[in-house]
Amino acid sequence: MRLRTPFAILASALLCAAALPAEVTLQDLLDDPRVGADWLNYHGGYAGHRHSLLDQIDRSNVESLRLEWAFQERISEKFEVTPLVHEGIMYITVPPGDVYALDAETGARLWRYSRRLPSKLIACCGLVNRGLAILGDRLFMATLDAYTIALDSKTGRLLWETQLIDYSLGYSGTHAPLVVKDMVMVGTAGGEYGIRGFIDAFDVETGERRWRFYTVPGPGEFGRETWAGDSWKTGGASIWITPSYDPELDLVYWGVGNPGPDWNGDVRLGDNLFSDSVVALEADTGTRRWHFQFTPHDVHDWDATQVMVLLDKEYRGVERKLLVTANRNGFIYLLDRQTGEFLRATQFVKQTWAVGISEDGRPIRRPGMEPSAEGIEVFPTVAGGTNWMSPAYSPDTGMLYVSCREGSSMYYKGDTEYRPGTRYWGSMFVNEPTMHNWWGAVRAFDPISADLIWEHKLFQPAWAGLLSTAGGLVFAGTSDGFFKALDSGSGEELWRINVGGTVQASPMTFEVAGRQMVAVAAGGSLFAFALP
Amino acid sequence: MRNLLNLAALLALPVLLTAARTHETNPMSSAEDFAEGRRLYRIHCGVCHGMDGNTGRGARLARRSYRHGDSDAEMFDLIEGGVPGTDMPGVWLEEDDIWRILLFVRTFAAKAGESCVAGQGDVAAGERLFSGQGSCLACHTVGPAGGRLGPDMSFAGEMFTPDQIRRALLEPAADVADRYRTVRLVTAGGERVEGVVLNENSYRIYIMDRAENLRAFDKGKLQSLETPTESLMPAYGNLLTEAQIEHLVAYLCTLREDRREGGTE
Repeated sequence: MRLRTPFAILASALLCAAALPAEVTLQDLLDDPRVGADWLNYHGGYAGHRHSLLDQIDRSNVESLRLEWAFQERISEKFEVTPLVHEGIMYITVPPGDVYALDAETGARLWRYSRRLPSKLIACCGLVNRGLAILGDRLFMATLDAYTIALDSKTGRLLWETQLIDYSLGYSGTHAPLVVKDMVMVGTAGGEYGIRGFIDAFDVETGERRWRFYTVPGPGEFGRETWAGDSWKTGGASIWITPSYDPELDLVYWGVGNPGPDWNGDVRLGDNLFSDSVVALEADTGTRRWHFQFTPHDVHDWDATQVMVLLDKEYRGVERKLLVTANRNGFIYLLDRQTGEFLRATQFVKQTWAVGISEDGRPIRRPGMEPSAEGIEVFPTVAGGTNWMSPAYSPDTGMLYVSCREGSSMYYKGDTEYRPGTRYWGSMFVNEPTMHNWWGAVRAFDPISADLIWEHKLFQPAWAGLLSTAGGLVFAGTSDGFFKALDSGSGEELWRINVGGTVQASPMTFEVAGRQMVAVAAGGSLFAFALP
Repeated sequence: MRNLLNLAALLALPVLLTAARTHETNPMSSAEDFAEGRRLYRIHCGVCHGMDGNTGRGARLARRSYRHGDSDAEMFDLIEGGVPGTDMPGVWLEEDDIWRILLFVRTFAAKAGESCVAGQGDVAAGERLFSGQGSCLACHTVGPAGGRLGPDMSFAGEMFTPDQIRRALLEPAADVADRYRTVRLVTAGGERVEGVVLNENSYRIYIMDRAENLRAFDKGKLQSLETPTESLMPAYGNLLTEAQIEHLVAYLCTLREDRREGGTE
């Protein structure tokens, strides 16, 4: 074996000093997070629960939780990563294009991969990245220049890279990929640039493309008629959050982004499938089994890129395989994840755009709430009733925890014209900072009835996700710079710390050297907390 | 053949990579260019800067000098390349279109500054009123002097039109920037405090009170916390004559930094 760099030597020495981490197996991914110690998938498991069985930190001792270590970098972008941890090694992405391996016990750096990115990347909402996927001794990342890459998890060496598409047309990769069997799956971001969204599956060994699914159907494909004229060519429908997966049904559940242009639907008359939908794809082939569209012909930018939470529960007396998701449009949806059958939708924040949801799951729109040249005030805000930040589901309490955003935006409609690689919004402007009616809350719902069980109010709407643990806790971050632990049963605040920067990531937990740690990115740093 | 392919690639490059600046000053000037610049601004810039260059979360464009440089070339590079580390991205447009946007953006500065001329008012009388009878200096800074409770007026002539200044004097509560939001609170001990908010989070509120003391309060322990709609600034329609208001407008219009002085960065 030829050692490539002094850094690689150091990394090898460090890893050899402790036990060399075993490779991550497919069984590990299926077991996760039931094995507890590791965190091997963006959501902490295929079902999208972001719940851990670790219970060393609990309601009785969380008040003595303290900072164990911090990782800092020169980060001027939003730091949105959820770390992965395997056998004492933490893997993170740092925007715009770096990957680090850290000693999970101390935060010390083991190796760094730095991607050479073009100077002019195209990303609507920051040069961000949300994390990695892992299998064997490989890490997988979607990059801002629209590649999927594989790295050696022991050295950070690039193993392969496969281009999704030419980034200069407005495409990028921002979400943590999903590994299913021997494939790694990635969808493309860029819904504000007139892209035609798609999802790719690659061979984990070679990077060879196995299949592609277009989230905007082309000629001859199902749903093509839902796009007027040639509008499908620039229809958006991006992917920017990791899907959930049901190994038994072998279906992958992708939340799809908004149609383009965002706020002017006149050039894309029709329902605009599969924008603002969940699509259930067969893992091996990428074939669509079913889809459900939350917001047909969206003109408010209500991407359905929220986490799809998979539950097996009783519904009206029958045990069902369910999918529950709190959507950006202000409703919580309950679907049968085997068939896509719509079961229920319930409003969970103030909204003024719909009178309600009909029995077939289509919204009944309130007239006059579309964007206009003069502007129209609509609840929720353009950021939605919730957004990409993760919800959590605790099997112990049976509650679904959602970070909720209250408030309104002014929605304007304007001219638009497609030019490759430039913004395709269709709006004069959307006036966001009407902060005086903006506030947030962590809310606990019964996932089946969508009944509100408790609420913990936040001073501002949060961009941080939630983590539930078997210690009876829900961890939450806030926009005013706090990271806190709530009682998962009551919502009572049990612990908090000022982390000095906005939390714009979802927390995770792991165990190393017999100690449970909770980690969260905030500002330009990553913090790990543990009991003394 | 290979050379030909390379040449083809080079020729294709400007189309893909858009603008490289070939002028030092804005070559665009026609009414058509202006109309196109306004249209492009609306699509690419208005989201953050507002159609009047004066609202939104982006930098205020309705002013006469800019932090990153005022020359056409500096402005072009800023629009094209954005400001690293901020939410200001560059625009992917061809050179001519960026110049057209700049042609439109320049109208904000004209509106903000050039029209702020000392109309009928007497500048010297306005200056006396500002520090004397009007007590404006108690709360506003001009250069090194003045209070810190209200916005700095050192460059008022670049930032506001006479109408905006007049309105602020007559209806001070009509348009209060978030940074100068007023609060009125009563502590557990019954003390009444009034001031502007420096920061607020879920648990505490930090204010500068009328005496410019920086104070922090636990929100949960207050008897009451109100954000009154009126401003701390009095409405001068009741305190000064119409002529005196015009003197103040005239004086404030002269407060500007028209030329950049040399000096260290």
